[in-house]
Amino acid sequence: MDGFSSQRKLISFVCLIGGAILAIAGLGMAIGKTGNPLRGAAIILGVVAFFVGLYLFPTLKHHRSIVNIIFLFPLLFAFAVTVIIPLVLGIGYSFTNWDGIRVRGFVGLDNYIRMFKQPSFLWSILITFLFVVFNIIFVNLIAFLLALLCTSRIKGLGFFRASYFLPNLIGGIVLGYIWQFIFSSVVTKFTTALFDSRYSMLSETKTAFVAIVIVYIWQYAGYIMLIYITGLNTIPGDVLEASAIDGADAMQTLFSIKIPMIAPTITICTFLTLTSAFKQFDVNLALTNGTGSVASFFGNYLTNGTEMLALNIYSTAVINNEYAFGEAKAVLFFIILAIVSIVQVRISNKKEVEL
Amino acid sequence: MHTKEKTSNVVIRFIIAVIVAAYVLFPFFLVVINSCKDTSSITANPIGFNGISLSQLGQNLLDVIYNTHFLFWQAFGYSVIITALSLVLLAVLGAMAAWVICRNHTKWSTVIYFTFIASMIIPFQVVMLPLISTFRDTGKFIGIPMLQSVPGIIFAYLGFGGAMTVFILNGFIKGIPMDLEEAAAIDGCSPEQTFFMIIFPLLKPVITTVTILNGMWIWNDYLLPSMMLGQNGAVKTLPVAVQAFVGSYVKQWNLILAAALLAIVPMIVLFLFAQKQIMEGMIEGAVKG
Amino acid sequence: MKKKLLSVILACTMAVSLAACGSSAATGTDAGSADAGAAEAADAGNADAGAASGAAGSVRLLNGKPEIDAQLQELAKKYNAETGNSVTIETIGGDTNASDELKKMYQTDNMPDIFVIEANQAATWDGMLADLTGEAWTNDTDYELVDSKMGTIGFPYTVEATALAYNADILDKAGVDPASLTSPDAWKKAVETIDSKKADLGITAVFGWCAEPANLGWSSGTHVFAQYLDAGLKQDDTTYIDLLNDGGQIDEKRMHDFAEFVGMMNQYSDPDLLVDGTYDNQVAGFAAGKYAFVTQGNWINGTVTSSADYSGFDMGFAPYAFEDGIDTIIAGPPSYWTVYSDGNVDGAKTFLQWVSDDSAQDILVNQAGLISPFNDCKFDAADPFYASIKGYMDAGKTSGWHTMLKKDGLQNETCQVFADYAQGKFDADSFTSTMAQVIKSYYAN
Repeated sequence: MDGFSSQRKLISFVCLIGGAILAIAGLGMAIGKTGNPLRGAAIILGVVAFFVGLYLFPTLKHHRSIVNIIFLFPLLFAFAVTVIIPLVLGIGYSFTNWDGIRVRGFVGLDNYIRMFKQPSFLWSILITFLFVVFNIIFVNLIAFLLALLCTSRIKGLGFFRASYFLPNLIGGIVLGYIWQFIFSSVVTKFTTALFDSRYSMLSETKTAFVAIVIVYIWQYAGYIMLIYITGLNTIPGDVLEASAIDGADAMQTLFSIKIPMIAPTITICTFLTLTSAFKQFDVNLALTNGTGSVASFFGNYLTNGTEMLALNIYSTAVINNEYAFGEAKAVLFFIILAIVSIVQVRISNKKEVEL
Repeated sequence: MHTKEKTSNVVIRFIIAVIVAAYVLFPFFLVVINSCKDTSSITANPIGFNGISLSQLGQNLLDVIYNTHFLFWQAFGYSVIITALSLVLLAVLGAMAAWVICRNHTKWSTVIYFTFIASMIIPFQVVMLPLISTFRDTGKFIGIPMLQSVPGIIFAYLGFGGAMTVFILNGFIKGIPMDLEEAAAIDGCSPEQTFFMIIFPLLKPVITTVTILNGMWIWNDYLLPSMMLGQNGAVKTLPVAVQAFVGSYVKQWNLILAAALLAIVPMIVLFLFAQKQIMEGMIEGAVKG
Repeated sequence: MKKKLLSVILACTMAVSLAACGSSAATGTDAGSADAGAAEAADAGNADAGAASGAAGSVRLLNGKPEIDAQLQELAKKYNAETGNSVTIETIGGDTNASDELKKMYQTDNMPDIFVIEANQAATWDGMLADLTGEAWTNDTDYELVDSKMGTIGFPYTVEATALAYNADILDKAGVDPASLTSPDAWKKAVETIDSKKADLGITAVFGWCAEPANLGWSSGTHVFAQYLDAGLKQDDTTYIDLLNDGGQIDEKRMHDFAEFVGMMNQYSDPDLLVDGTYDNQVAGFAAGKYAFVTQGNWINGTVTSSADYSGFDMGFAPYAFEDGIDTIIAGPPSYWTVYSDGNVDGAKTFLQWVSDDSAQDILVNQAGLISPFNDCKFDAADPFYASIKGYMDAGKTSGWHTMLKKDGLQNETCQVFADYAQGKFDADSFTSTMAQVIKSYYAN
């Protein structure tokens, strides 16, 4: 029945038992707060040895299951420690007055009630929604026009596509600083000459908001364009030919053939811009850091005119040291995103049924 | 084949394309020329070529590279190590996990799969704060620092990148016929042999895709490393180093732009070499994700 | 056969992953020992400390003043040469707020042994600051930070003064005596005089005042705002800060007078600087003689005197006399070095004692241009503002840095009000009422 060498059995059992002992010993040292610096290594080595033993375990029947476990474990473990545990903890913390280190007490829904009474937070939600709407419209419109341009017959198509896509390669922090330079040192030269307004766009809430939208379009439109190009390329050539033979002009082709045919692509791009605009953080941080005044919002003078949700959460927690409050805001942020995503799935499913 | 178009139309479109390209590339142009100036020439004339010199460029670059807050080579090295190791581990471990999930039609594999998918909508902000405390406490518990350490951040990227990686790989593995694996099993291949010798090599195109997607994200990521590594920790990635550099000095644009130049050049060089793969990878990721 | 082969492959995979783990441990310690980095410092406080290095060990100091970074690096070298102990200087400042970064460092278990705080931040670090009572240096200074609960917690490393810094040459040529600037009327007259002679004096504007909020919020929101709280008051008079900290109240009359004064500064300021200038431009402009006054403190001295455009003019301070009879400037330690109680406390104490002695004071006073808070310091400050500051000190006309006791983060809100005022969105009345509302709601939240 079993063709396993005794040597292999031995190694397997030694590894299994030794590994378990080592891991438990390591855990023991850690729990006992012995401060032994080898405890971590003991745990890791023990777990690895245990898995080696498990792998060599003399069984044919369960070998497949063992391999499955070994294959799944590393990623699942990392996933659990970095996503699941913090998520559960975070939701729990949002009902306490956690300060990042200790939980001093349970406060129930206080954090949630408080955030809706905080005008600056409501403002952040409002401008985040505005930002998302602006971006969905402009990024998609511009990207689609660029895609039409880049699927027509002009010279140097490859160059144009690549260069429109280029900004998307650069991280938000770096390009935030580049654009801060442009707005404060370069654009002012033009505005001084044209409108006699020597102040940087970034010093006024409304224009600073426009500035963030401009930077975002600059960064993102090229990427969305690529997806539209892919969508446009899937339209069969004979359909276009047929319409040309029927005498449709460019506009008719566009509106009655191209746009309906790439409806799924439009859905993808809309939600892609939506979620990424929602999560906007780096550019916001590097470009304005949320500054800007609002003269009157529900009768309050606000000083965080360009602070969007993600940045508001960050500064609540990290800068103002209110970790639990920031976490509660983050949970709300999560809920908003979850609703959006569910709507997305619904819509795409519906579309698929219709098609 | 195609209908004849008026030449004037083509010319107009070409001109529009050139104008848009000029607009898109203008910031890059500004970074390059202003990295070649000193502060006063930038203030006086940020757009033109006045005051640019190669020696000034060298001067600015050296100032940035050897600045104690930037330490370019160190930050660059850490960025490369962190990105490369995360990508390799994500590809290998992600493929292993995706294969198991895809080929097992049990209840728990479905549960794991949907947990992964559902987790993709979790914004980083929700987990960022408890993540730090979890990592801090785990690090203290096992005596191996998880914060301010390369293994710690790689581990975090493994956790955050895992879901999307598995999702995309899963879609691809589904398309590989089971016959292949069954034939291998009949030939006496054990499951792990089947995976590493038959399935894994077949995954090459899709692994390129996930590697590009994850690579773009990890290389440019700011928030996670800034939280986990800190602005003045011993370990810094390039975006964190740029932020630390800008934050520690009052606005000296020639140096800031030189730092930006250093940060974007590696990406652009890579793009020049692997333009097609990168653009295709990004499209694949979007359409599937 | 195949099984064997596979075992080998798998063993290799394991070995690789093991190596990864091994290297992880290695990198950890590496980072720790090499750069006196995070990992070790964190553990050093606990059980396994001591063995790491020499007598007092190495300490990390977080400095919040980028302008003296180079001199502190110099100081670190000298400390190492003289005592064999080492200190690592980490500087955060300029655009990044050291206290914000410090909170992050705390979260990531990366605390330096010595770090800078402003007096009102002591509460944030309640229970984490070492008590320095009984250290020898405390006998030589009047400026240490004492907390009722935690004891002596702050080491004063400098005395700083802020008011309206002036260029003596320009005032002289314009025929304005800075000593006479003790009432709003006198100021108005002087400013108008200087403004009318702008061309002759070769200046761009009377004031180099910058209300840009994103990067210079500390200047308007903390330092200029400080004048509302303290100008004209005795060093230990806490009338307005107490009022402020009592739920965010302000004295409307005083704030209004202050607003009128700031309005005058807005009117006669360099418009290129006022709304979106930078600290660099502000100080460089003052050094080049473009402004008669600048709204900074004596910390600009190094930047000014080392500027290529600096003509060697004398400098001094004039009070923000927004009410009749205000004749004081703000002077004292604006921030302190504190010792992290879970860090290398003994090493930190050794270092601080050394800093209070001559060889370190030599660098801080003569090279960094700081004014020593220590009575036994034998060096006369090289600071060009020193004569003026000493004049105020000797006459007992200095006010406290009580602005550092306002609720942490308030400056991020009020600086925006200054910015809007500078842009002309407010007049003195609406500035006052907005200020009242912003402060009130900040304290309420």
